[in-house]
Amino acid sequence: MTGGDFIYLDYAASTPVDPQVAECMQEHSQSDYANPSSNHLAARRVHASIEQATAQLASLLNVDPATLVWTSGATESDNLAIAGAARYRAAHGRHLVTMPTEHKAVTDVFQVLAKQGFEVTWLEPDARGYLRPEVLAAALREDTQLVSVMFVNNETGVIQDIEALGRICRERDILFHVDAAQAVGKLPIDLSVLPVDLLSLTAHKFYGPKGIGALYIADRPRCHVEPLLFGGGQQRAIRPGTLPADLIVGIGLAAEIAATRLDSDWQHLQSLRQLFWDGIQDLEGVLINGDLERGFPGILNVSVADVEGESLLLGLEPLCVATGSACNSQTAEPSYVLRALGRSDLEAQGAIRFSFGRPTTREEVAYAAAHYRDTIHRLRELAPGAAA
Amino acid sequence: MDPYSSLVRAYFARPEHGGKLAAGTTALVAAQGVRIELAATCDGGRLQALRFRAWGCPHVIAAAEAFCREFEGAPVAALEGFSAGAIMDKLAVPVEKTGRILVLEDAVRALGQKCRASAPD
Repeated sequence: MTGGDFIYLDYAASTPVDPQVAECMQEHSQSDYANPSSNHLAARRVHASIEQATAQLASLLNVDPATLVWTSGATESDNLAIAGAARYRAAHGRHLVTMPTEHKAVTDVFQVLAKQGFEVTWLEPDARGYLRPEVLAAALREDTQLVSVMFVNNETGVIQDIEALGRICRERDILFHVDAAQAVGKLPIDLSVLPVDLLSLTAHKFYGPKGIGALYIADRPRCHVEPLLFGGGQQRAIRPGTLPADLIVGIGLAAEIAATRLDSDWQHLQSLRQLFWDGIQDLEGVLINGDLERGFPGILNVSVADVEGESLLLGLEPLCVATGSACNSQTAEPSYVLRALGRSDLEAQGAIRFSFGRPTTREEVAYAAAHYRDTIHRLRELAPGAAA
Repeated sequence: MDPYSSLVRAYFARPEHGGKLAAGTTALVAAQGVRIELAATCDGGRLQALRFRAWGCPHVIAAAEAFCREFEGAPVAALEGFSAGAIMDKLAVPVEKTGRILVLEDAVRALGQKCRASAPD
């Protein structure tokens, strides 16, 4: 999508709201504005539209609608799943397992729990970013209560083998949480067969509105979370608060649309990623951070070691992309995810994540590849040789 | 908020003094994760031509370009008056990047010393 003066290639960060979704939300906000918790005719209409949206999302995931809890987005879902499940099962054990390549919405919760008396094991990925099932199995203990692994990595696009990892947890009655923010609406997820207990998602990654997400909580014994919020009793008191009906209607329709487009979106993204890679792969020193063969095709993360990341990002304008660097002004801190994959500081600092979406055109991608090449050449020519 | 002033954007996009000189005096300083090389040809105590090469953030590249624009044609002795603070004000460089711009100041001083040594008054 070209926004007049920019070319947007940051769909892993957020997607535009589908026009049908936007229209539906607008209409709903004008016609069905009652508080769904009230007990009158207008409220019952809103309640019905929420039920319909819940069924739409449940259909995308092939689950019972009663297993879904609405939240404000993936960050809240991750917090509720991890902190809520760890506290719920704390009497049985306080050992938790995750990876350093998870999103901050996950790693930061584990850091907090570690300060509250939980013991956290951080499992390292292999060189391409995968968690090997045998590595997970070896880390589990009698007192392990929760494992959290993301479905699609937000920086590299690596897709974990959720089925194999989940089976290991299920065999040991350990809760398995999956941050699926980058996966839902993009690849087929059938939770009736996948051994997943808790799954986080957010609407704005699949052409729905910002501010609405959900947590799936499997209907299984000892699978529950303690709430983080209190008051009101909505959603069985797991996540109380007035439900944002317009946003819920939006995510419901976005889920329904996604379900009809999984294959065509995947093929579109695959062809765009290949076009981009064909355009840059002969660039000297370019590295892929992730897995071109098995990774999510909407994300291509590439590094060059000899170009400064912040200058690369500015030089790439008008492309809207993500840097692998946290890149605040004081310390150009390299991505912790790429460092965990074994990239050097310089390689991680010069990493750029290109992410493609439904509206992305081949012309935009061809331009982006050529502009990336030109910018690398320009910055290399401007750089002095290494100091003696 | 745009982290770059219009001058930083302009100098970064079109660094007219970026590159090398065929002959002349050069000074290279590397510190703070930044490398800056300054090159000058001097004639009659004046900086006839100035060029730079830099590996660093956009503020560093823009500051090096700003230095070259300001001092090309100036007396070599004027280099002693170069101040990182003045160029940071001119380009609106955030204070957190002071250390990086001080690398440019070090490079300017090194260039001045080399110019004076190669063509003493």
